[in-house]
Amino acid sequence: MTEHAIESRALRKQFGDFVAVDDVSFHVEKGEIFGYLGANGAGKSTTIRMLCGLLEPSGGSATVAGHEVGREPMRVKASIGYMSQKFSLYRDLVAEHNLEFFGGIYGLSGKRLRSAIEAAVERTGLQPYREALTSSLPGGIRQRLALACALMHGPEIVFLDEPTAGVDPASRRDFWRLIRELAQAGTTVFVTTHYMDEAEYCARIGLMVDGQLVALDTPRALKRDWVPGVTLSVGGRDLHRGIEPALALPGVIAAEPFGAAVRVRFEEGREDEAALRRLFGEVGRVDRVERVDASLEDVFLAVVGAGAKDEAA
Amino acid sequence: MRVLRRIWALSAKEVRHVMRDPRSLYLALGMPVVMLLLFGFGVSFDLERLPIAFVDLDQSASSRELRQRYTANDDFIDAGSIALEDAERALVAGEVMAVVVIEEGFERHLRRGEQASIQLLIDGSDNNGATQTRGKAEAMGRVFGFSLAQRSVASAPPPIQTRQWMRFNPEGRSAVFLVPGIAAYVLAMVAVMLTALTVSREWERGSMAQLFSTPVGRLEIVLGKLLPYVVLGTLAVLLVLAVGMWVFDVPFRGSSVALIVLSFLFIAGMLGQGLLISVVARNQMVATQAAALSSMLPSMLLSGFIFPIENMPMVLQYVSRIIPARYFVEGLRGVLLRGNGLGELWPQAAALLAFTLVMIVVSTARFRRSIA
Repeated sequence: MTEHAIESRALRKQFGDFVAVDDVSFHVEKGEIFGYLGANGAGKSTTIRMLCGLLEPSGGSATVAGHEVGREPMRVKASIGYMSQKFSLYRDLVAEHNLEFFGGIYGLSGKRLRSAIEAAVERTGLQPYREALTSSLPGGIRQRLALACALMHGPEIVFLDEPTAGVDPASRRDFWRLIRELAQAGTTVFVTTHYMDEAEYCARIGLMVDGQLVALDTPRALKRDWVPGVTLSVGGRDLHRGIEPALALPGVIAAEPFGAAVRVRFEEGREDEAALRRLFGEVGRVDRVERVDASLEDVFLAVVGAGAKDEAA
Repeated sequence: MRVLRRIWALSAKEVRHVMRDPRSLYLALGMPVVMLLLFGFGVSFDLERLPIAFVDLDQSASSRELRQRYTANDDFIDAGSIALEDAERALVAGEVMAVVVIEEGFERHLRRGEQASIQLLIDGSDNNGATQTRGKAEAMGRVFGFSLAQRSVASAPPPIQTRQWMRFNPEGRSAVFLVPGIAAYVLAMVAVMLTALTVSREWERGSMAQLFSTPVGRLEIVLGKLLPYVVLGTLAVLLVLAVGMWVFDVPFRGSSVALIVLSFLFIAGMLGQGLLISVVARNQMVATQAAALSSMLPSMLLSGFIFPIENMPMVLQYVSRIIPARYFVEGLRGVLLRGNGLGELWPQAAALLAFTLVMIVVSTARFRRSIA
């Protein structure tokens, strides 16, 4: 029995010669929102499927909700909820019948089933859509229904595989509010996404590149470690020609275009606003220079960039 | 308890799919009846009103009497007298099924108590027609011979006389023995189709992955999917047989318990076969074709529906032993025509049960548990 909700030990999946997940180890605390980030094909879904008992690992092991995935898959399945990347409810049934079905599959019946349905409908705001045919629901509502189905049995852990892919921003925000409420109520949430703004909501983040877990920490620590220093954003016009010379300034780690602006990152304590104004003033017009926080996107690019450099070396 | 709840949930869901898209209801209940009517009226081995022509070289009272006897009932109709030279042409042209040539001196031979002969030229291109024509013509010649023999004082009654008594189907109507076969054939096809798509559909829709993320077992999925269709299929069997009795006057002499048991087991077996196809096929296209082939051909050709199993080559006879339709046809003929009950038909019921169990076990074993 482990105290962690999820513990992965050198988990590995190989399809022929292709290593989809390469000796991945991590653990997820109870009640935590754990974000699993990576480009498409980095091995996120494969990891989730192994943790849910849908796919047999080629190596390593994992404990989910206190049960060994390889040895007691049925116990694992009874304590988790899973929402797959592809919408996979029955489109030809009305919303409530989908809830009823998954409730039944998880072994609920009679009064307990009814009250579980009511609770799920209440929690996810599906009341107006109960009788609607699932195929007629808009994307955001469908995702909420899928989540509600995965939660019918009150699982300890939910695995959400790109739950907000292809959903409009307002619905994404609503959906994340649900996820946060879940976590506050004590459910562990394991979520994959490639929206970096969503990742900010996670307590901790694991970053996958080519099947390997290359970084794992809180968003703040990731930014500190992977994008160190101070970033200044130079706003104005015709600034991009100044990027090359800016890299030569003392203490500069990186200089990158960001829309019309240019972001220049200095080593901690060596930031020099005056030098930037002088340099960019020569090639274009500088409207403002301001200090900005690094984003997870910067982290992601830095991590992926490091992976690429390793490969080149 | 949880197992039953899960099976129940799966079955209820399946019923809802059917309600949502009633095409499978039509497939299950409408199609067998329509096909039974089509086949029942279309396929008949009873030949009536076969046109025969006569070449009467004798032109006597006896030859005229013979001719009259041939066409007295509806088996043959008189296509007229023709000349001997035209007999060949009439057969080639397909105008007549047979030509009866009555030789010259027919009456004279009869009078003298000698053997009189007639010649029968039959169109052999239609095997079934030819066989029946020969049988009927021979029978009539024999009957005519007897009656002549009895009329003549001089001769004794023929030494051996066979009295035939055709039990269970005294008129020898083909519908009576075809309806059970048609029912088995049609229901086999429909039942396999019904389930062949259910599992592959779940794969295609991605809902199988969702199912596998829950604690539902493979056997539970198999049974949950089978259950509602078994009920539907058994209803279809009873409906088809009711129509068969009503429209084609097929009798029902045996035990209704035996009928229901056999129908249930046969349907369960065929649904199981469909499920196995579904489990193995993975996409709906392949599943449909495999379902059609694996159900139609064997239940048409190897069930004894049309071709008697005893006449098949040894190899095919062995193959027919694993065809559920064979046992169902035997069982139906037993229950409907011979008035049998489970006392006589338990071997058929046992064979069907065995087939069903094998299908369920193999489907469950072949069910891939993991995705991707």
